[in-house]
Amino acid sequence: MSEPDLATTDPPRSSPRGLDRPFMQRRAEFEEALARNAGARGAEAGASLPRASLWGDAFHRFMKNKASVVAAIAFLLLLAFVIFVPWLSNEDPYAIDFSQAYQSPSWAHPFGTDGFGRDLLIRTALGGRVSFAIGFAATFAIMVVGIVYGATAGFVGGHVDNALMRFLDALYGLPYLPFAIMTLAVFGTVNFWTMVVALTIASWFTTARVMRGQIFTLKQNDYVRAAYAVGAKGPRVLYRHLLVNTLGVIIVFVFLELPGVILGEAFLSFLGLGINPPKASWGTLAQDGYTAYATHPYIIVIPSICIAWLILSAFFIADGLRDALDPRTKET
Amino acid sequence: MLAFIIRRIVWTIPVLLLVILMTFLMMKLIKGNPFQVTERPVPASIQRNLDRKFHLDKPWWVQYLYYVRDTARLDLGPSLVQRNQDVNDVIKEHFPTSIKLGLMAMIFAIVVGIPLGVFAALKHNTALDYTAMGIANLGFALPSFLVATLLIYFFALRLKDYTGLPTNGWEGPSSWVLPTIALGIYPMTYFARLVRGTVLETLQQDYIRTAKAKGLRWRLVVGKHVLRNSLIPAVTAAGPVLGGLITGSFIVETIFGIPGIGKYYVTAVTGRDYSVVMGITVLLSVIIIVANLVVDILYGYLDPRIRDERT
Amino acid sequence: MRKTKRWAWWAGAAALIAIAVAGSALGATGAKSQVLTMSIGAEPPSLDPGLATDTTSSNILLNIMEPLVKLGPAPELKAVPAAASSWTVKGKIVNLKLNPAVKWTNGQPVTSADYVWSWLRTISPELGADYAYQFYGIAGAEAYNGCDPGKANCNALKNKVGVKAVGKYGLQITLTSPQPWFIQQLSHHSFLPTNKAAVTKYGNKWTEPQNIVTDGPFKLSAWKHDASMTLTKNTKWRNASSVKLDRINLQIITDASTALNAFKAGNIAIDTTGFNPSDIPALKKTPEWKVYKALGTYYYGFNVKNISDVNQRRAMSFAIDRKAITKYITQAGQVPARGFTPPGIAGGPVILKNAFNPPTHQTAKAKAFMQQVKNPKKDIHLYINNSPGHINIATAVQAFWKELGLNVSIKVQEWKQYLEFLGPPPNSDVDVYRLGWIYDYPDAQNGLVLWTCGSGNNNTNWCNKKYDALIAKANNTPNANARYLIYQQAESLLSGPKGDMPLMPIYWYTYTALVSQKVKGFSINPMDQWDYSTISVS
Repeated sequence: MSEPDLATTDPPRSSPRGLDRPFMQRRAEFEEALARNAGARGAEAGASLPRASLWGDAFHRFMKNKASVVAAIAFLLLLAFVIFVPWLSNEDPYAIDFSQAYQSPSWAHPFGTDGFGRDLLIRTALGGRVSFAIGFAATFAIMVVGIVYGATAGFVGGHVDNALMRFLDALYGLPYLPFAIMTLAVFGTVNFWTMVVALTIASWFTTARVMRGQIFTLKQNDYVRAAYAVGAKGPRVLYRHLLVNTLGVIIVFVFLELPGVILGEAFLSFLGLGINPPKASWGTLAQDGYTAYATHPYIIVIPSICIAWLILSAFFIADGLRDALDPRTKET
Repeated sequence: MLAFIIRRIVWTIPVLLLVILMTFLMMKLIKGNPFQVTERPVPASIQRNLDRKFHLDKPWWVQYLYYVRDTARLDLGPSLVQRNQDVNDVIKEHFPTSIKLGLMAMIFAIVVGIPLGVFAALKHNTALDYTAMGIANLGFALPSFLVATLLIYFFALRLKDYTGLPTNGWEGPSSWVLPTIALGIYPMTYFARLVRGTVLETLQQDYIRTAKAKGLRWRLVVGKHVLRNSLIPAVTAAGPVLGGLITGSFIVETIFGIPGIGKYYVTAVTGRDYSVVMGITVLLSVIIIVANLVVDILYGYLDPRIRDERT
Repeated sequence: MRKTKRWAWWAGAAALIAIAVAGSALGATGAKSQVLTMSIGAEPPSLDPGLATDTTSSNILLNIMEPLVKLGPAPELKAVPAAASSWTVKGKIVNLKLNPAVKWTNGQPVTSADYVWSWLRTISPELGADYAYQFYGIAGAEAYNGCDPGKANCNALKNKVGVKAVGKYGLQITLTSPQPWFIQQLSHHSFLPTNKAAVTKYGNKWTEPQNIVTDGPFKLSAWKHDASMTLTKNTKWRNASSVKLDRINLQIITDASTALNAFKAGNIAIDTTGFNPSDIPALKKTPEWKVYKALGTYYYGFNVKNISDVNQRRAMSFAIDRKAITKYITQAGQVPARGFTPPGIAGGPVILKNAFNPPTHQTAKAKAFMQQVKNPKKDIHLYINNSPGHINIATAVQAFWKELGLNVSIKVQEWKQYLEFLGPPPNSDVDVYRLGWIYDYPDAQNGLVLWTCGSGNNNTNWCNKKYDALIAKANNTPNANARYLIYQQAESLLSGPKGDMPLMPIYWYTYTALVSQKVKGFSINPMDQWDYSTISVS
């Protein structure tokens, strides 16, 4: 599905046209343009001041950005909602009581009830836990896979890099949604782990590509050559000098991938490939709601709004982080 | 330039073979019998005969070679589930629909999104900017199944008498409207944000300030310098966006009942119709690969700096 | 330049609005002839009588072709002459006389040679037809169907199949044993003839509208795959004067909400796609809502190896509230099932005399049963396939069984994976599974035979020789009432108080549809068949 992938547009704006598109392939020449800027930034970050200053600086810049602060608060609110509401509530989210079915939102049931009479406020919060858990787990996995793959390609370079990148091209050719569906079909059943694996497998390409670009350009900096000159071995250079300087990009990417993954899980659940009942995720709640949207629209609207809330807040946080970590972006 | 193009085209062949191989292996890993449609298990003798008929009794690499050979001849094989149809027929019937839908959605996205983005950038930090971006962000965040559902609910049901729009199907122009909007909103927001970003950046450039300082009329400046430079990324993104739309329209197709290739693809995966899955995967991969190739070439032509650097 | 951009934007918006208005005008064409537009829930996988497996294809086939016999009104569903004008049954030999007035759309008469050729083609090992098993009641059919053309010469077996043309319009069939239901079974679409010339000429593509040759009241005039099909009246059909509809537009709409919207907007006159349970309470109050009894059972099967104590199985059956499930979850007028055989079948009430699965939950009795279980299995793995309806029912059952102290985990699987998992024999992790059975022909034997030891549909590991003996005995009992009594004993072994309860029926199916008041004469019979030749539109 193209939608989740599109959410990962607008990466580090050091590219001259802000062009790192998920399905656009970079050519070497274009990546050189990136290299020129990233190199400068890396040089700035790695060569001049101690690290703390970069992060402190970034934090202050982030705080000044109103949109980002609002987004961060919204994100934390959502997180608080899913963590605390079930904890504080006494109701049994799985109790079935048909006499209470399909109640519209009211004081007793702020989000209404579903077809089994279960309170939707708690189910939405619990569903949020599942969605967040899947989201964070899959994002983490995507980062790990993407970083390992991309860093290896960028660092080793040469034929290995070429081969790895061409293989990545091949993977880009597989459409997102059917690929995830096939992965789930291989497992045969949908639970937390299979969903995480399926989403990871379908989504790690962009991260790998960007990481490779970053490492590739950063390693051409003088300070890297200097490190080698004083006898540092490869892995140490990779870890201490290169990966560390990509930390900013990685953090931005986490907040870009997270909504994509959660949206992907929602789409898969909507197609009937959600986690097993009676547990719910926002996606399975939306699927439940879709069959009733003409008569009880709140059942599909509420989890969709939660998803939208998450996407928007994560996106603006990513935006803010990117601006905060990139000292050359002018405030317009 | 020519050498570059040829090199890229030559590279697509192993890439395609790899895609076929990966899909093939995945399908082989998936348990499930394409020939069993009801709860009744297929009698062993029939299973054996069917397997033989469709080469499923051979080792996987033999099947793979059969498949590659047939694909090269553009024969994608018979459908395992729809016994009276070939994959080529399926594609011929459904693919044009998806292309049409994708194209229309993309035109909608461009026609609405780009002006929106330009506007927002030119009126930066005003109420117009915030509203425009607000709409864009909402369209970007709301899941497409919700957008499609709401569109049907309001425009095809509630306001049916004013709009005359049907709730489903793909017959006639009136049925194209809602699916186009539903599918097109997401890329529309993409273009809007993209163009806004590039226009803003371009506006910062020195040469714009120079033009302003020289006293050139603002409209001329915008039209000639700003737009031309900032629309390049939008143009080059159009290719992959179109590719993404054609290959990713499954949910919109299901909700609106449109007989496109996306819906068919997922049905084929769940039905274990190996040949249809392979055939459509190959097709979609070719589209994406070609779209990216075209974009890369286009980009080389459009951006004189990149073009000149290479010579 | 800004002006240009703005202009372009407004032009685009204006264009979209213009398209919408034009489109709605285009869509409002009127029709003077009798045209029925309805929705069907799936694309027919095949219109080849030998390859069609689902009811969608079946219904279309039975309207563009003429079966040998049709089924009369419920509940007897007696065989009514159609393409066959008369028949005689003597033990294993069935003789049919074909009606010479039945003709193919190319003008040729339909002869018994056509039937012989078609049936042999369907059971040929080369075709690999899923429904070839329908013919296994005919002598030699199973052997021929199972032949391996790579290893042996199958022609010898082909010649031994008990189907013969006697003259131009006589058909003689030799069965493996007397089968009292055989004539009714001939109403199934598998027994329709296929036109040899068309199949030979067009091969795989012979079912396309431009190639297909049929012999029924309607013709297939158009087929846009996955979108719509059009049937037009066959003016040359022998009873064409009684057919009122000129054209039938079948729209393939798989999504229940989409179909309902289309019905509400007046785009379709009959909605057979299926309904979201949440829409049903409102629809029930409308005069368009129709419920038809069906011959089919929705049940949960036990893996008797895992849940080995019959009292635990009885407890589990008594703990669920079938009425609540049909009232609140499925909501389509289904009947809580106390036994496996549906009551609407011939002899139903007699057969079900001892079936005792309760319609409402009997918690006290359930707990009493549980007390008698020495080593109850507390952790239950309930396997279902991933459809929202099944998930909802399983969720309810999970809650009901929790009252017995059972810890149920619901395992959802994709359909194909699920079928493999169930075997038989079922995967050892399966404790309970769900399936449904729709009858192929209106005789209780069709359902009861599923639970014999060797049945490919018995996923319970239950094997009872006494049961098998009863079924075999019933096969050889031509007298209907005597047979019903034997079935009664068999059903008691399944769902009676002294029975083994290898399965737990939940409800008997119904068919639902929304039928516009403009349509007259539409109904769905218990075998899920509908007949367009009796419908008219005002």
